[in-house]
Amino acid sequence: MASAILDRELKKGSAELLILSLVEDRPRHGYEIGQLIEMRSGGVLHFNVASLYPLLYRLEKRGWIRGRWVEKAGQRRRRYYRLTPEGKKTLAAQRDGWREFVAAISQITGIQHA
Amino acid sequence: MPDFKEEIRKRVAALNLSPTRENEIVEELSQHLEDQYEQALQGAATEDEAHQAVLRELNENDLLAPELKRIERRVPQNPVVVMGKEGKSNMLGDLWQDLRYGLRMLVSNPGFTIVAVVALALGIGANSAIFSVVNTVLLKPLPYRNPDALVMVWEEATHLGFPFNTPSPANFIDWREQNTVFESMAAMAQKSFNLTGAGEPERFDGRRVSANLFTLLGVEPVLGRTFRAEEDQPGSRVVILSYGVWQRRFGGDSGVIGRPVNLNGESYTVIGVMPGSVDLPSIDNWHDQLWVPIAFTSEDAASRGNHYLEVIARLKPGITQKQAQAEMSTIAARLEQQYPAENTRIGATVQSLHERVVGNIKPALLVLLGAVAFVLLIACANVANLLLARAAVRQKEIALRLALGASRARLTRQFLAESVLLAAMGGACGLALSFVALHVLKIFIPTSISQAQAISMDAKVLIFTALVSLVTGLIFGLAPATQASNFNLNDTLKEGGRDSGAGSRGNRIRNLLVISEVAISFLLLIGAGLLISSFLHLLKLDPGYRADHLLTMKIVLPETKYPDKERRAPFFRELIRRVQTLPGVQSVAVASNLPLTYNGDSMPIGIEGRADPPPDQMPDVILRVVSPGYFSTMGIPLVQGRDFTEQDKPDAVRVAVISEKTARHFWPGESPIGKRFKPGLVTGDSPWREVVGVVKDVRQNDFVAEPKMQMYMAHEQVGSFAPNAVVVRTSVDPQSLGTAVRKTVWEIDKDQPVSDIRSMEEIVSEAVARQRFSMVLLGVFAMLALVLAAVGIYGVMSYSVGQRTHEIGIRMALGAQRSDVLKMAVGQGLRLVLIGVAIGVVSAAVLTRVMTSLLFGVSATDPVTFIAISLLLISVALLASYIPALRAARIDPMVALRYQ
Repeated sequence: MASAILDRELKKGSAELLILSLVEDRPRHGYEIGQLIEMRSGGVLHFNVASLYPLLYRLEKRGWIRGRWVEKAGQRRRRYYRLTPEGKKTLAAQRDGWREFVAAISQITGIQHA
Repeated sequence: MPDFKEEIRKRVAALNLSPTRENEIVEELSQHLEDQYEQALQGAATEDEAHQAVLRELNENDLLAPELKRIERRVPQNPVVVMGKEGKSNMLGDLWQDLRYGLRMLVSNPGFTIVAVVALALGIGANSAIFSVVNTVLLKPLPYRNPDALVMVWEEATHLGFPFNTPSPANFIDWREQNTVFESMAAMAQKSFNLTGAGEPERFDGRRVSANLFTLLGVEPVLGRTFRAEEDQPGSRVVILSYGVWQRRFGGDSGVIGRPVNLNGESYTVIGVMPGSVDLPSIDNWHDQLWVPIAFTSEDAASRGNHYLEVIARLKPGITQKQAQAEMSTIAARLEQQYPAENTRIGATVQSLHERVVGNIKPALLVLLGAVAFVLLIACANVANLLLARAAVRQKEIALRLALGASRARLTRQFLAESVLLAAMGGACGLALSFVALHVLKIFIPTSISQAQAISMDAKVLIFTALVSLVTGLIFGLAPATQASNFNLNDTLKEGGRDSGAGSRGNRIRNLLVISEVAISFLLLIGAGLLISSFLHLLKLDPGYRADHLLTMKIVLPETKYPDKERRAPFFRELIRRVQTLPGVQSVAVASNLPLTYNGDSMPIGIEGRADPPPDQMPDVILRVVSPGYFSTMGIPLVQGRDFTEQDKPDAVRVAVISEKTARHFWPGESPIGKRFKPGLVTGDSPWREVVGVVKDVRQNDFVAEPKMQMYMAHEQVGSFAPNAVVVRTSVDPQSLGTAVRKTVWEIDKDQPVSDIRSMEEIVSEAVARQRFSMVLLGVFAMLALVLAAVGIYGVMSYSVGQRTHEIGIRMALGAQRSDVLKMAVGQGLRLVLIGVAIGVVSAAVLTRVMTSLLFGVSATDPVTFIAISLLLISVALLASYIPALRAARIDPMVALRYQ
């Protein structure tokens, strides 16, 4: 059950950072974000619908991301999330924080950064 | 594909989100699940397996609802209340929401909003403008130290027609010495000054004043100092300038102090400059431009029979005007005993300075203030009507909200918020409007009103406008709001939201509003009608002369250069001779004073062969000293005898011309020609004058009051009362000759100032400025009221016809003619109007009494005005209800029957 613990604990601390990073370059919709997290983590991280969306809404409420319904020709409309200027600042801060955290963990546990 | 939407909706239903938000979440999440489902299918799962997989993920840990709950805000049960429970908990939040909601409603109904805001802006704007005037003229304290303690003290000679007579120096001196109620007392006397030397010669209004005057008022000079007690002596030659003269004539040069100036041919030293705010009340529209010490000679100080002072005093702290009056009456009674010859029945009257300054305009301003309040009431009634009509349309909304649990109090509050918002918009526009209106108003406001040009808007006006707007909003919002709260939910829901006209109660309120609009506009129209009628009477008054084609000007010869009549006569003879030859001049004359420009120079006369009556029964006769040709130039008809001629020289028989009234009073039933009289007492030492002619009465002092007794003397036969005025009858526009006449004066004496170049018509026009001011303004407000009332009646009739379209259709289908429909609709309007007029007549009969002091030649209940105004109002109202009625009569029965 190691992966389950990892999943929950890490997700708590890192979920915001993950989502903000994913919408940094371009707007993405919820399903895409979920898929990317799973793919890029090689299946280690997985957000189900019941946790992903409340998270998106919270970030939106804080003003870090902004969702907009976009209609593309021949498709049903989807809600795309993009990073707001404030979100950009938060992302930078969280990245620094995460780097320090990882470095500290490495120092203590002797795990070398890959 | 399975219906994931339903699955999600089940899970979020308990969150009680707003429908929009809930739909969004359902759509977004179901898309996600559908994508997962598609993917699972592509991954070779069966449809059932895919469905189960997706559902499993949705249900995992049962997270969705709790997570969302933490983030999404719940929507309250009652759609109107933002937070908390009904009432107490969040009034501010409610108010804010109400205002926002109200604003949305107003924006979405631009037509309604514009009509309402315009009506309110007119009403509120009129109120702000008039309040600005009242504020500046009546409410602002005079610009002196503790102005409430300042009073004027007059001689009271009511039996002679002078309740506020100018005191004589001896009486003033006794008052000052004997009283214990005043901190100090100062006397003032008007005096003209001719300034010569550098630049054009110029005449100034000025006053001789007691040295302590400015200390008494509590005004500091902006430059230099005020008078010292020792300067209040004959022969002292110091002068204080007004701010205006200092700026205009001396370029605001502070080096003016100590500089000599030539006044009336004598050199005076400038010792100070007073601030511009010093504007002492005066008779005759006199505006002080400079001051010199009054410096009574011992002869002046002993004079009890020459009444020419204005006396101002400051009450001691704690002394009331009433106490001062009591003591002054006692002193006057004592003086009456001591000096029966001059002081019999002469009392003393204490009048507050403020009363003196604003007294003559106060009734007019108060009537106008009342008028604009009425205009605003009509505007309120109009907007209330509009709101009522709209409330009827919004019944569905109201019903729905009541059904959803909104309380009636809550709804009422929201309606009021909308009204107040509307009123605030009206108030803002009204403020802008009144700003413009004030500029127009300043054209009409009589210049004799103190502070007239200082009228402006200040914080008080802004606060007043804000308060008026708020109260206005509450007043006109009340009707629709109470109606909303008395709303019958069941009926409306049963009617399926069909517009039922909000029931008979709504109609009753609407009818009441129309009736009151008509009644109030009737009041205003009557007020305006009476003033217009008064003004027409004024204009029809025979002044006693022909005011057209008369050019007038003031020429005050300085006593130093022209000390007696022997030296004045050649100047005037030469002036008349030269002006006579100017092209466009028909005739020219000089006079001590022209009608409506001066109130003084009157005295009792003694008749040869009769004993003097007791002093209190000797009426004054106004004296004017004139040149030959004065009567023909002025157009004053000669009734009997002859005009003065060149032969009435100083050494010839002393002659006089009297007015008809004088002739009737002293020689009733006989010809006065050849009779002799003298100014003052029979026993006095002035020479007898023989009456050689009788002329028509002239409105000499006051254009409105009945003419007083008058007499005229030839200028070459009178030592004092030097001519001050020139009058020219022209065959061309009189103003065009002003420059030529002035040039002629300067050809004779280059140092002689000429001032007040005006046509006689201007002088008359100024004399009725106060009446014109009230008339024009009240007329404008009454028209405003009429238009607003007409719009109101039209609105209600349109609405009511619209409501009855269905009924009219049935009637017409059953055989009613168009004319019947027309009659029915107009009749309904007419009934309301007649009730309104009836109420208006009764209230006007009571209320117009407050205007009595403003009326002239008409009674406050003048039947002609009442009938004319009734007819006017009824015709306008008929027209306003005829147009919608016509529309009703043109209704196609088929369309009407289908109309819901």
